[in-house]
Amino acid sequence: MRIVVGMKWVPGTQSVRIDPKTGTLIREGVPSIVNPHDLPAVELALRLRDKYGGEVIALSMSPPPAIKGLEYLIGMGVDRAILLTDRVYAGADTLATSYALANAIRKIDAEIGKVDLAVFGQETTDSSTAHIPAQTASWLNWPYVYYVRDAWLTEDGKLRVERILENAIEEWELDMPAIISIAMKSIKPRPVSLLNKIRFKTNPSTLITWTNSYMNLDVRCVGLKGSPTFVAKTVDVPEVPRKKIVYKPKDGEDAARWILKSLLSDEKASRALLKALRGSSGGEGS
Amino acid sequence: MSSTSIPSKFDVAVVGAGPAGSATAYLLAKKGFKVLLVERGRGLGDKQLFGGRVYAQPLREVWPELDKEAPIQRWVTRERVSLVSGDKALTLEFKGGERKSFTALLPQLVAWMQRKAEQAGAIFATEATVDEIMFKDGKAVGIRSGNDVVYADVTVDAEGVNRLLLERAGIVPRLSPDHIALGVKEVLRTGSSQLEAAFGIGSDEGVAWVVVGDVTRGVPGGGFIYTNKDTVSIGVVIHLKHAINAIESGQLNNHVYELVEGFRLHPYFRNLWHGATISEYGGHLTIEGGLSFAPKRLVYPGLLVVGDAAGLLLSTGINYRGVDYAVYSGKLAAEAIEYAASHGGLTYDNLLEYERKVKDSFMYRDLVRHRAVEMLMNDPTMFSKLAEVFIGLFSQMFEQDYSVPTPYEAFTGALTEHNMSLNKLMSYMITAVRGL
Ligand SMILES: Cc1cc2nc3c(=O)[nH]c(=O)nc-3n(C[C@H](O)[C@H](O)[C@H](O)COP(=O)(O)OP(=O)(O)OC[C@H]3O[C@@H](n4cnc5c(N)ncnc54)[C@H](O)[C@@H]3O)c2cc1C
Repeated sequence: MRIVVGMKWVPGTQSVRIDPKTGTLIREGVPSIVNPHDLPAVELALRLRDKYGGEVIALSMSPPPAIKGLEYLIGMGVDRAILLTDRVYAGADTLATSYALANAIRKIDAEIGKVDLAVFGQETTDSSTAHIPAQTASWLNWPYVYYVRDAWLTEDGKLRVERILENAIEEWELDMPAIISIAMKSIKPRPVSLLNKIRFKTNPSTLITWTNSYMNLDVRCVGLKGSPTFVAKTVDVPEVPRKKIVYKPKDGEDAARWILKSLLSDEKASRALLKALRGSSGGEGS
Repeated sequence: MSSTSIPSKFDVAVVGAGPAGSATAYLLAKKGFKVLLVERGRGLGDKQLFGGRVYAQPLREVWPELDKEAPIQRWVTRERVSLVSGDKALTLEFKGGERKSFTALLPQLVAWMQRKAEQAGAIFATEATVDEIMFKDGKAVGIRSGNDVVYADVTVDAEGVNRLLLERAGIVPRLSPDHIALGVKEVLRTGSSQLEAAFGIGSDEGVAWVVVGDVTRGVPGGGFIYTNKDTVSIGVVIHLKHAINAIESGQLNNHVYELVEGFRLHPYFRNLWHGATISEYGGHLTIEGGLSFAPKRLVYPGLLVVGDAAGLLLSTGINYRGVDYAVYSGKLAAEAIEYAASHGGLTYDNLLEYERKVKDSFMYRDLVRHRAVEMLMNDPTMFSKLAEVFIGLFSQMFEQDYSVPTPYEAFTGALTEHNMSLNKLMSYMITAVRGL
């Protein structure tokens, strides 16, 4: 089986700040990480390869610093990685991104060997659209299923997947090639291994870079030019600074009294409290 | 899996890419050894939280291009030492001129060293934690990380202060709070012009500032301030044993981060970084008394120990030399391995050259000479008391309404005010002077 797995290099979530003036993410100085939801996808791809043989190829459209992320995936055991990078790809929305990814998958198919499956994370932590798997599948005209947490091959060579929904677990069967996206946190990714790291450092060919002079995509379909959607506005919801008061109560009653007393001593808090009490007794939550 | 073969045998495996490991790997790779450098941190210099002041000359012996290429923040031209008691402070300043030491943000500096090692040909594997140094018939034969085993003729342990690997190998006992201090640090962004105005320095100048006394709320330890290009590194270092005592006695009940906050907001210092934003903070262990922290030997069959893990760090209360000691010990280890290889092989006897080199070095000599300071630093009352008495003396001399005290009156006044006998003070001073 030849499996392609997607990777996005995203700002480390805890450290994302938003520029209060422009409303855009401040990426400068924020350390990036592999999109955490991509890791279960990598893990499933590796498990399939370990079971059925073949290879796993990681694919990312990103500026060059994402090599660090691809290195991480190779450390986990991905056989090789392709970085799709070019100035003209910058500023892509999900349509332009999926267009480039789909074409890269076609290229892998043509130049490296037949691709049977592409696996993606459910969504990314920095934009949460979850568009990419479906859009990529649409460009390729491949079947796709979301929220997968397990997959295996049937005897007649079809892909069988288990997907989890809020209150149901379903099994689907797909013809390959296919695209699946993996439910977030559903599979525990393996750690990187030292030997795989050494393999990355000693075999430069495990990481390939494809620029547009190689991909030859229509520049009107990629990057900013190929992106019909844009973020119109971002509103920063600032964290409300909270007072921290520590009180060591004697018992539960003492604690309750103290909480009530503190709330009532604050005008704003007591008003909110009264409102909430009225709401709950009147049955008309406000 | 692809069929590419993965090398799993090296001449030298270096564990830990801090200053010590990076220097060792760099020098050996440059000499043509097949070197593996393993680091559990992710990015370059990730686990290297601390910056401060680094003495240049030992580093220049490894990287002669240091002054030109290294990410140096500012050369230290001014040394300040402050004694603090309550809101009062006594400060001494020395203005030097020579390029002896520089301030740096350690992550940047270590990243530079790591790149040097990699460019010289060392295989640098990040995000990989070594779980065990493997021994066969009493000789170290390589390292294990998860299920992966890599063999090496020599393993260099550069794992820093935590020393889990040496502990697992039964070479050192469990880390004891006696020898450990906790450093908590913040990097404050002020911008270079505000910084230079506030510290009264030129654009090509830098300040290294040691603060003794009450900044750690009476817990023995001290504070430090280092000026970077447009940020200021500040922090406190508390001796772990004393921190634990202070917590048990109720003297300290806040989180350690609040100690550095107390320092940042101290009325004597806070205007130096007025309006600054905190761009980084964190905590890290550090060792204090060097020799008593050292493992019994620095060489075992197939294994050398360098840097903090070897106890090679000098801390006199005024001078703090960890990074340069680490680098220099890495240099000596690399030289010893080279010596061994050219004298019949990497045998235990040949590798003992490393221990000889360390014993002959300025590091070992200084650690021996400064032993008394170790004892001094372990006396919890010494710091706060000395600071109080000296501040008391100056306060008697300068804070007056009508009558001017004679120096003798000021001195004895300060002693009585702070319950200090002349004898006790003398004994502190003698220990201090003997140590320094
Ligand atoms: C608060 C504070 C302030 C300091 N200020 C100064 C100063 O101003 N000047 C100065 O000269 N020194 C200073 N030091 C000391 C200095 O940081 C150390 O002496 C120096 O970093 C020691 O270098 P090292 O290479 O021996 O160890 P480290 O720098 O600790 O490096 C060890 C490396 O090994 C890695 N590692 C550990 N275990 C494993 C494992 N099992 N597998 C893989 N990797 C592993 C770690 O991630 C780390 O990167 C300070 C220290 C602290 C804590």
